[in-house]
Amino acid sequence: MNYRQDFPIFKNRPDLIYLDSAATSQKPQAVLDAVYGFYKSMNSNVHRGTYPLSEEATEAYEDARKTVSSFINAAHPHEVIFTRNATESVNLVARAYGDAFLNKGDEVLLTKMEHHSSIVPWLQLKDRKGIVLKYLDVSKEGRLIFDPKLITAKTKFVSVTAMSNVLGTIPDLKPIITAAHAVGAKVLVDACQSAVHIKTDVQALDADFLVFSGHKLYAPTGIGVLYAKTDILNQMPPFLGGGDMIHEVFLDHFTPGELPNKFEAGTPHIAGAIGLKAAIDYVNKIGFPVIQKIENELTEYLLGKFKALPYVRIIGPADMMGRGPVISFVIEGIHAHDMAEGFATKGICIRAGQHCAQPLMDYFEIPATARISLAIYNTKDEIDAAIRTLEEIYKYFNP
Amino acid sequence: MDLYAQNILDRYRTPFFKDKKIKADLKRHEANHSCGDAVDISLSTKGGKVIDFSFTGAGCAISMAAADMLGELVTGMMEDEILKLTKDDIYKMLGIEISMRRSKCALLGLITLQNAILAEQKKPLKTWGDY
Ligand SMILES: Cc1ncc(COP(=O)(O)O)c(C=O)c1O
Repeated sequence: MNYRQDFPIFKNRPDLIYLDSAATSQKPQAVLDAVYGFYKSMNSNVHRGTYPLSEEATEAYEDARKTVSSFINAAHPHEVIFTRNATESVNLVARAYGDAFLNKGDEVLLTKMEHHSSIVPWLQLKDRKGIVLKYLDVSKEGRLIFDPKLITAKTKFVSVTAMSNVLGTIPDLKPIITAAHAVGAKVLVDACQSAVHIKTDVQALDADFLVFSGHKLYAPTGIGVLYAKTDILNQMPPFLGGGDMIHEVFLDHFTPGELPNKFEAGTPHIAGAIGLKAAIDYVNKIGFPVIQKIENELTEYLLGKFKALPYVRIIGPADMMGRGPVISFVIEGIHAHDMAEGFATKGICIRAGQHCAQPLMDYFEIPATARISLAIYNTKDEIDAAIRTLEEIYKYFNP
Repeated sequence: MDLYAQNILDRYRTPFFKDKKIKADLKRHEANHSCGDAVDISLSTKGGKVIDFSFTGAGCAISMAAADMLGELVTGMMEDEILKLTKDDIYKMLGIEISMRRSKCALLGLITLQNAILAEQKKPLKTWGDY
């Protein structure tokens, strides 16, 4: 099955070689149709409708929530809060949960492979409340090292990625979550990279919070998800205040609305949620076994090609064990930006830089990496083209 | 592959001012974290005039070549003249087309240099938006 043809951008730009899906994925026709279809024939605001059109929009929006809910196996659709992106979801948690339940001296355990979006909100909370941040280490092979000693009686919160956006590493989350729960700490899982590649099951994980962005999952930009367990959402104070999130408003006080509205102040990204539903339907139709078969084959192919080039150093797991289709690499003496420029001359889109993971770069003592990330629409031909280009880049800088 | 003009590549490969030992009285570090470029510029000045220039750093060919060519441009220049240098002066110095995505690479040396002087003069520092 050729899934590439489902993505119109490849028809409109026949020469495009897009190897940067970890930054944002391309969008299938079904998603574009869903977004366009909403604006074309259903556009109206949600939750306020006194007429059938708005009822229809509300139903479509809530239907999107149900789709997300079963996609991640939540116990109830109201455990799915729509946000702008994963970053906003984490900030919501650090603000609403962190401000209410974490205090001076409490420990928050992160990992050195977190994206800045899972570090900075906690640094901000540290500034506000004097919490203490600790980090799980990463091995030189790019694996997460779970040292249970870092979970202590003071640990109140743990935030860990389900797949590193730099290394491609898929850490084993279960032991970390179990150990965190044993001391009564809550756990947030960053599924931003993993959601499009591997099955997300919040109940099997027993995650208290889980976040991801639609745009890395074939959905539009501007729509993200926060999952949290019902009892936690009920205990948390609201985040943003305004319309939709309230029950009653008086001149001197208000009462918050019910879940999930309590955390969705203002008019939401209705078309985005509907687009996200279409993206999830698209992924479900293909199924993760097929997605993984395609992506693993491509990843293994690329890793094999890299291994044949002695000057390429892979930053992250060099084999297929516990990794996804996100592969960072460096070449001694050639800055990642120069590599990206070389790729760009051939119409190949790769990412170069620190990937919002400065602590990880510091740990590996490298200024930046080049990164190839793959999705179901990529092909071995594209990888061959990338490898040929890489060889040319190497020759250019080492004549 | 023909990535950069020969002058850029030459200066990247064999810089004149990189790691040069000078008696510095001004020093400044700036970095471009999203792409992972960093430079440290050292200046030796006399009566408001730059008499020696040196830099260290890690970055792409454009950022390193630009920092190196800056050394030539500003040696002998008065600090006040250096503060007047603009983006266009740097692009002219490089002599190549600079795309939007590489503008920070090209300007990292300049912002570092100008901030070295501004910090010394206790004036507000430049930010990327100033270019
Ligand atoms: C692992 C991970 N977490 C979080 C994010 C933040 O996603 P967004 O920028 O969509 O909020 C990203 C995006 O790069 C990511 O890769």
